Amino acid sequence: MAGVAGGGGGGGGNDFQWCFSQVKGAIDEDVAEADIISTVEFNYSGDLLATGDKGGRVVIFQREQENKSRPHSRGEYNVYSTFQSHEPEFDYLKSLEIEEKINKIRWLPQQNAAHFLLSTNDKTIKLWKISERDKRAEGYNLKDEDGRLRDPFRITSLRVPILKPMDLMVEASPRRIFANAHTYHINSISVNSDHETYLSADDLRINLWHLEITDRSFNIVDIKPANMEELTEVITAAEFHPHHCNVFVYSSSKGTIRLCDMRSSALCDRHSKFFEEPEDPSSRSFFSEIISSISDVKFSHSGRYMMTRDYLSVKVWDLNMENRPVETYQVHEYLRSKLCSLYENDCIFDKFECCWNGSDR
Amino acid sequence: MEGGDPEPRDPGAAPASSLFNISMVKLHQSLRHVEPNLRHLVLVANTLRRMQDQMQREARGPDSPEAPSVVDSPAPVSDSRDSGLEPCRQPPSDSQGDDLLLSTMDTSISTILEDLGQVEVLSPARPEEEQPLAGASGARQEPARTSAPCLGPLELLSSASYLLEDGLEDIFEDIDTSMYDCDLWSPTSLSGFKAFSGAEDSDSKALAGAEDRLDMSDLDYLMDVLVGGHAL
Repeated sequence: MAGVAGGGGGGGGNDFQWCFSQVKGAIDEDVAEADIISTVEFNYSGDLLATGDKGGRVVIFQREQENKSRPHSRGEYNVYSTFQSHEPEFDYLKSLEIEEKINKIRWLPQQNAAHFLLSTNDKTIKLWKISERDKRAEGYNLKDEDGRLRDPFRITSLRVPILKPMDLMVEASPRRIFANAHTYHINSISVNSDHETYLSADDLRINLWHLEITDRSFNIVDIKPANMEELTEVITAAEFHPHHCNVFVYSSSKGTIRLCDMRSSALCDRHSKFFEEPEDPSSRSFFSEIISSISDVKFSHSGRYMMTRDYLSVKVWDLNMENRPVETYQVHEYLRSKLCSLYENDCIFDKFECCWNGSDR
Repeated sequence: MEGGDPEPRDPGAAPASSLFNISMVKLHQSLRHVEPNLRHLVLVANTLRRMQDQMQREARGPDSPEAPSVVDSPAPVSDSRDSGLEPCRQPPSDSQGDDLLLSTMDTSISTILEDLGQVEVLSPARPEEEQPLAGASGARQEPARTSAPCLGPLELLSSASYLLEDGLEDIFEDIDTSMYDCDLWSPTSLSGFKAFSGAEDSDSKALAGAEDRLDMSDLDYLMDVLVGGHAL
């Protein structure tokens, strides 16, 4: 189920009132496993909302144009396009099935009438083109109305085909498939500000791709230890800086964020900046590390700040200050006393996302 | 453990044994997948390490970590797998929960190590040499070796990793196949069955003694079945 929240101006001051504007999907208890939504992403303008589910499908919603007859409506979102992005695959070498669940979707900045997005499952990233067709040509010379080819010798006169309107059809077609570059499960993708490259991150490695080139990618971060028994940390999220195309960050399961500059070396194993908040000794517990594991990291639109989400809180960091965040928000502090049960039922491993609003507020 | 169970008030307290067991189970389950969820695995393993460190600290008692390391037990190291247990083995302390906890820990770790043994035997840590280190620093900075053997499950990853590597022969090293050696099963040896069973199995010797004829035919029957299976 997807919830789209519309914000309304609150009573006074800076208080925002949040309320559900629209709920999409089935409300009843029995939801098919494949329908469970696994990722959500707005495009740059906010007109389109893409959702990916466990069954490998992508559903795109489009905001209706606001019209004068319903001035209070912020613009409802309705289904725009649905397509099957990923199918389950079988890896014969390891004898296991690769899930079709969509882990992340990222839109490309719009450059023409069509929309492009990247969607990824555990192993493969795909570039999809979503285009509209609302006209069709009639009066071909070489084809019948049925589409059958006409005998060229029978044609005695030429005519110019005319464009006629038709019901809007939205088509999605796979344009590129970026496969076989990740041994571990992909958790993030991020489009670069140069609009030509993007990165994909799995548990131990980050690769850099060019959108036009599918048979090659560059490994820019590798934290795999020589002996796997020394593994104590994994990559949990990664993102490019919104303005500096050589800068990106990645977060870890230990609650740290590393900022890397691709100009410094080909393999960015040494970070330029290291962000970590020291552990608060008074709230230390066996679960400290688990709840500090960062599940999402997002740069502000300005590029000056970044936001991280761990289990209980959201933190805002100033890129110029590495030793602690500038703001911390407890999202569900009431869970802190229940960490033990949450650990037992594995809920403590749940991951959450975060994002900035359009004006970085 | 009930839901809503409060955290131990004392952050320095050792975890309840049930918590430790749950963690071991989680680690086990994680490792069972062909492609484990690495984040889950790493978080559980690190949490287990914390618990173990805490338990070791508690077992050593309130005195300083520099005290002659109790881990220095002269328990015979029968095979290299057990050597990994050395740093974790603690003498029973007065606290009633501890015995149960520590024996549970040993059992759990052994279980994991048994699974490991199928793929790659632990790098034989030399516990005697590492004790002074463990005693002196008593800290987390000790080489991965000392703490890793208790949580060697991650070694499973290195060797099984995601592709089966050359060490396939090692998988079968510990399986005792002497029972199935051909000459023992040849028909001529059947007549000497009594002697054979006496050598291999003291139980059947006792049985044979009590009700000779009946048991002999039972055992003969069994042998035939086994021989028949082996021939296949």
